[in-house]
Amino acid sequence: MGNTVEWITDFKEAFDRANEEKKPVLLDFFNPQ
Amino acid sequence: MDAVTYPDEQVSAFITENFIPLRIASDAEPYSTDFMVQWTPRSIVVDSFGKVHQSEVGFFRPEEFVPSLVLGLAKTAFDQDQLEACKKHLAAILADYPDSAAAPEAAYLQGASGYKTTHQGGALKDAYHTLKDTYPESGWAKRALPYRLL
Repeated sequence: MGNTVEWITDFKEAFDRANEEKKPVLLDFFNPQ
Repeated sequence: MDAVTYPDEQVSAFITENFIPLRIASDAEPYSTDFMVQWTPRSIVVDSFGKVHQSEVGFFRPEEFVPSLVLGLAKTAFDQDQLEACKKHLAAILADYPDSAAAPEAAYLQGASGYKTTHQGGALKDAYHTLKDTYPESGWAKRALPYRLL
């Protein structure tokens, strides 16, 4: 699996996948500055 | 988190296997308002229905982040009344990460999930003893104090 998290950046896409794969979302808020 | 924790192989593998990882800037609306984000880093476990089950602020070392994520899975299962899955996650924290910050809360929830399964006070009393013996200074030991009377 390597050592990189493949982050999704689209809210709808993430929750569509969460429903399909029956997994919760890990939502990470980061400081953009 | 970007420099130390997310690149960690155990962390990234655990996230990939157990979650859908979503990354949002803290000034992105409406999400920042919806999730009441005032400080970063902020890590939130959200189920597929959009319900929050765990919300953490601040930096986690890799060895603390994995048990925190397992606790997030346990709390998600607990909130959804999936008690067997919950108990499995809690047992994993106490077995594999007994010295982590997540462990005392896992011990407390082990009592609660045990009670919800059996409707017997013994599970709560066991949790009290585990917390008193192993995590006596934790806030969870204080919360379990009434269970000593069961």
